[in-house]
Amino acid sequence: MKDWFADIAAQFKLNFIDGNRWQWLVEGFKTTLIIAFFATILGILIGVLIATIRSTYDKTGESLKKRGGIGIKIFGFIDRICKLYLTVIRGTPMVVQLLIMYFIIFKSSTKGTLVAVLSFGINTGAYVAEIFRGGIMSVDNGQFEAGRSLGFNYIQTMIYIVIPQMFKIVLPTLCNEFIVLLKETSVAGYVGIRDLTKAGDLIRGRTFSAFMPLIAVALIYLTVVIILTKLVGILERRLRRSDH
Amino acid sequence: MTTEKKALIKVDGLYKYFGDNHVLKGISAEIDAGEVVVVIGPSGSGKSTFLRCLNLLEEPTYGEVWLEDKLVTPVDPYLHPDIIELSKTYQSLFAAEKAKNSGRSDEEIKAELIAKIKSEDLLNEKHEGKAYKSLMKKIYNENYINVNLARQKIGMVFQQFNLFANLSIIDNITLAPMKLLKLSKTEAEERAKALLDRIGLADKAQAYPSQLSGGQKQRIAIVRALAMNPDVMLFDEPTSALDPEMVGEVLEVMKELAKEGMTMVVVTHEMGFAREVGTRVIFIDEGVIQEENTPDAFFSNPESPRLRDFLSKVL
Ligand SMILES: Nc1ncnc2c1ncn2[C@@H]1O[C@H](COP(=O)(O)OP(=O)(O)OP(=O)(O)O)[C@@H](O)[C@H]1O
Ligand SMILES: [Mg+2]
Repeated sequence: MKDWFADIAAQFKLNFIDGNRWQWLVEGFKTTLIIAFFATILGILIGVLIATIRSTYDKTGESLKKRGGIGIKIFGFIDRICKLYLTVIRGTPMVVQLLIMYFIIFKSSTKGTLVAVLSFGINTGAYVAEIFRGGIMSVDNGQFEAGRSLGFNYIQTMIYIVIPQMFKIVLPTLCNEFIVLLKETSVAGYVGIRDLTKAGDLIRGRTFSAFMPLIAVALIYLTVVIILTKLVGILERRLRRSDH
Repeated sequence: MTTEKKALIKVDGLYKYFGDNHVLKGISAEIDAGEVVVVIGPSGSGKSTFLRCLNLLEEPTYGEVWLEDKLVTPVDPYLHPDIIELSKTYQSLFAAEKAKNSGRSDEEIKAELIAKIKSEDLLNEKHEGKAYKSLMKKIYNENYINVNLARQKIGMVFQQFNLFANLSIIDNITLAPMKLLKLSKTEAEERAKALLDRIGLADKAQAYPSQLSGGQKQRIAIVRALAMNPDVMLFDEPTSALDPEMVGEVLEVMKELAKEGMTMVVVTHEMGFAREVGTRVIFIDEGVIQEENTPDAFFSNPESPRLRDFLSKVL
């Protein structure tokens, strides 16, 4: 028993204390958070834009088409681009997108984290766009009509009234998307980014012991996910109760 | 030269089809400044559709809506009936239809054809040439009012209140005046507070819609529309979603408004309101105006059997 404890302690020292290797994990965790956070922001921006374009087209496209003209042709083209983006992003694996971004599109870039933020952001945008579109559709049409009846045009009504309400509806889902993304960024190591997973793996490579660093990494992810899930639960209950 | 008085709102030959459902079948009406026009009729007869066509929340299939001397319909002058009528497409279709000798009036055929041309997009000669386009633009500027501008002058109150759920009461009222009339925040809030005072809800300025009763919500919805200083107010069954004990407080606000000379078009089942404050009552059934009269004559001397039948059920 004593031996076993001594062994554990030695392992712990080797993997985390020696050479200050625990700092690798801290640095890696920071990188993971940075990528997940900024990718979510980027994803939200892309998502709002695409969701607005798509639901506007769904709502007004048909009647505009009847009227003809260049405007609707451009609008239809943009809508098709959005659909293409959604199809491609949701139809290919995240890792492949990341590899393409890193090794083809930003071939000469040295800013790995930035490329990762872009890749994950563009990826998240596609999923968030559909969440937002569902959110926009679930805002009561009376809200939209009230806005229009006061004299707001379509875009103003969306910006002042529909989109803020959509955000409230989708906020919990959005937070869950962030949690998913936090775990998904673990593939960033594929392009040499030292995120949390990569940091654990690097320790493993240095110390030739897999157990401690990998379990530590898993525990960190697990803890963060559990805490965030709890927070989302609280947020959800708050939103339901306040109803405004 | 006579100075001809223009109606505030003029509706001319209004048709509205939802697919095969012919909801409005040729409604014409004039509403003068200061009138309180009450619209009644059975459920599904097209009252809401008529009201919503006035501010183009529904786009009429055919027919004109005027706000004073400007056309509100259609949004696109290319689809103006007069323009369509000039087209070769229309003329050949019309000739073919006439040749059938179906016994229908020219007016009826015209309505059908224009609806058909619009819904099936049969008009392919609409973008011919720059000169034509600039002429269209001129026609537009001289004759039309932008639909968003028109709506600023036409307030609307809905059955379901439709207060903006994401905004506090004060923000509900100040949003449109600030963004559309470019009032400063202070000016808009002063205006809002004066309106809230009038309906005795000044203490609710910071509350959110979900914290108010139905009657309170509807009174706020009324002053939200009033904050834009509209020329006319449309009410679509403003008390139908309310608990009975709250109907009175909303009708009271509406009566006040009428007394102050606000032009109003009110769809309602409140016959008492029609009698007391209406200057004219319109009975819509099967998509047409079956009868209209002053409240007194309307209720004491209904002429059409349909109206008599309807009144016997609701009174
Ligand atoms: N957006 C729409 N799409 C399709 N049909 C519609 C639409 N709006 C209304 N209708 C149809 O038009 C007809 C008239 O509806 P409308 O709401 O104008 O009646 P109403 O007189 O206001 O009735 P109520 O007293 O029940 O409010 C109904 O048959 C309805 O189903
Ligand atoms: Mg109705």
